[in-house]
Amino acid sequence: MDTYNTSIRPALVRGNKDYRQVTGEIAGPAERSPAKWWYVAMTIATGALLFGLWAMYVTVVEGLGTWGLNNSVGWGWDIINFVWWIGIGHAGTAFTIFLIVFRAKWASSINRAAEAMTVFAVMNAGLFPALHLGRIWLIFFIFPYPNTRGPLWVNFNSPLFWDVFAITTYLLLSVTLWYFGMVPDLATMRDRATSKIKKGIYGFFSMGWVGSVKNWVRYEALAKILGGLAAPLVVSVHTIVALDFAVSVIPGWHTTILPPYFFVGAIFSGFAMVLTIMILIRKTFALTDFITRAHLDSICRVLIFGSMVLGLAYMTELFIAWYSGSEYEFFTFFRSRATGKYSVAFWIMVVCNAIIPQLLWFRKIRGSLGWMLVISIIINIGMWYERFVIMISSLAQDYLPSSWVSYSPTIVDIGIYVGTFGIFACGMLLFIRYIPMIAISEVKSLTRPERDDTKTGK
Amino acid sequence: MEHKNIIAVFDSDEKLVKAIGRLQESNIPIKDAYTPFPVHDVLRLLGRESRLPFFSVFAGAAAIALVLAFLYYTAVIDYPVNYGGKPYFAFPSFVVIIYLLTILLTFTTTVLVFHFRSGLYPGKDPEVVLPGTTDDKFVVALGGDEGMDAGMKKEADTILKESGALEIIEN
Repeated sequence: MDTYNTSIRPALVRGNKDYRQVTGEIAGPAERSPAKWWYVAMTIATGALLFGLWAMYVTVVEGLGTWGLNNSVGWGWDIINFVWWIGIGHAGTAFTIFLIVFRAKWASSINRAAEAMTVFAVMNAGLFPALHLGRIWLIFFIFPYPNTRGPLWVNFNSPLFWDVFAITTYLLLSVTLWYFGMVPDLATMRDRATSKIKKGIYGFFSMGWVGSVKNWVRYEALAKILGGLAAPLVVSVHTIVALDFAVSVIPGWHTTILPPYFFVGAIFSGFAMVLTIMILIRKTFALTDFITRAHLDSICRVLIFGSMVLGLAYMTELFIAWYSGSEYEFFTFFRSRATGKYSVAFWIMVVCNAIIPQLLWFRKIRGSLGWMLVISIIINIGMWYERFVIMISSLAQDYLPSSWVSYSPTIVDIGIYVGTFGIFACGMLLFIRYIPMIAISEVKSLTRPERDDTKTGK
Repeated sequence: MEHKNIIAVFDSDEKLVKAIGRLQESNIPIKDAYTPFPVHDVLRLLGRESRLPFFSVFAGAAAIALVLAFLYYTAVIDYPVNYGGKPYFAFPSFVVIIYLLTILLTFTTTVLVFHFRSGLYPGKDPEVVLPGTTDDKFVVALGGDEGMDAGMKKEADTILKESGALEIIEN
């Protein structure tokens, strides 16, 4: 399969490097002491984290009354941010599936960082429903185990309960994929380390890896199994998140389009976040030979696709709201979202997700790092507004006008959201500081496309 | 322990593949090979295959049965709850839990079996043959005195040298 040796897709690694150069250039940033900006970024991230910890403390000690929720809007910023973060998380797993299941070799140099992003994003996502329990110390009630309360089992028919298992499984599987993907590189770091402490720590986590035939055979078998299991899982996770909404009878939520629409939105926002992170990593660590323009171009193409599917989904929702003849749906989509109280948020969502990304059709914009960075950030703002529109407009104005309310977040809501950014940023900064950002062993197998085993397609 | 291994170091996977091919033609037993990335020709030539996928399929099937039985026990036998007259055994909505738990159980047991069978686990001391095998060196290890007579050793030495080994270490 020498598809990658064609002029259609340029070389995946530029610069004709030998193996030692590949190791040195990728492992380098994790071996040097970090630059000044790293400390500055870490300080800001820690500040955000502390703000978040304060907000979580207030939530736990004083209760959910400190949030902006009220009788009608029972799900506010917490669930918006939950859906937003878990959506972002989906891209890392998508890259893993591209790489392991579809054997799309271009994903090799992006996979590691994207998976790191997944792990931290899903961790953040899990925080929100947990805090939303109110009495977080009773969280063990949601696990089905023989207990002294009956034994009363959990409701296996509830999507909210499905969510618990979906997110737990997803977090565990993405951590496993990420960690096992790192093992050969951690062994490289171990063998290169000069200080005893580093050697010890990398050595501990590299599981005694030496790169023998037995190691590789079992490792590759495991990678295929984990990748194969991740594929159906990632599709189910956001589907189940969508079912939390779709099985209810709230106008604007009770639609069958929601699961696929949520899933595409998740992949879309995740790819946008990957693009943001890749542009930053590429620029700051001079990894331009590994994360090439062609890589960024590929991500942009996926974004165009996602944007068009989302645009179609928005139009379908509007069309069905009119065509179904349901006056409640018509009200939610046309009177509340498109023209009413929430029209600003609605149109931010449409413009950011369905219209602005269309600029990526132009080669010139796909070639400009600045434009791509701006568009990728705009997409994630748009995706946040999408969840805001879905959540708030449906809840604040439903069947009974007498129970219509307004919703605004409190400082505690904002604090927890900022705090999750802190967790995400701290995690990513520690990741780029101590772990090779790109899978070294994967990239080495790409440096020479004329090699025998790439031709035989094995 | 008096026997010595023969370790030949190469700087490219092509040379390693060639050397292994020739060693096999001359029926010289190969102990192991070490590479910085998976070289599929080497894996194929040394004829090793993992049975992990078979285990996974088995674990997955067992997980489906187990989870279904668990759901039936909790929802029908142990504590049936009447949700608006719906059947206790609500199979369509159990599908989701079965789906998720099958993935969870399959991947966790597969990882455990991987650790168990491969002997790799966090904290294990590596038996490093040559530190460069995780960087840019490709190594083939022969049994040496074990299972090789003097004539074979000599032949192996020639083959390895002719295939372009950077160095041949006996230890």
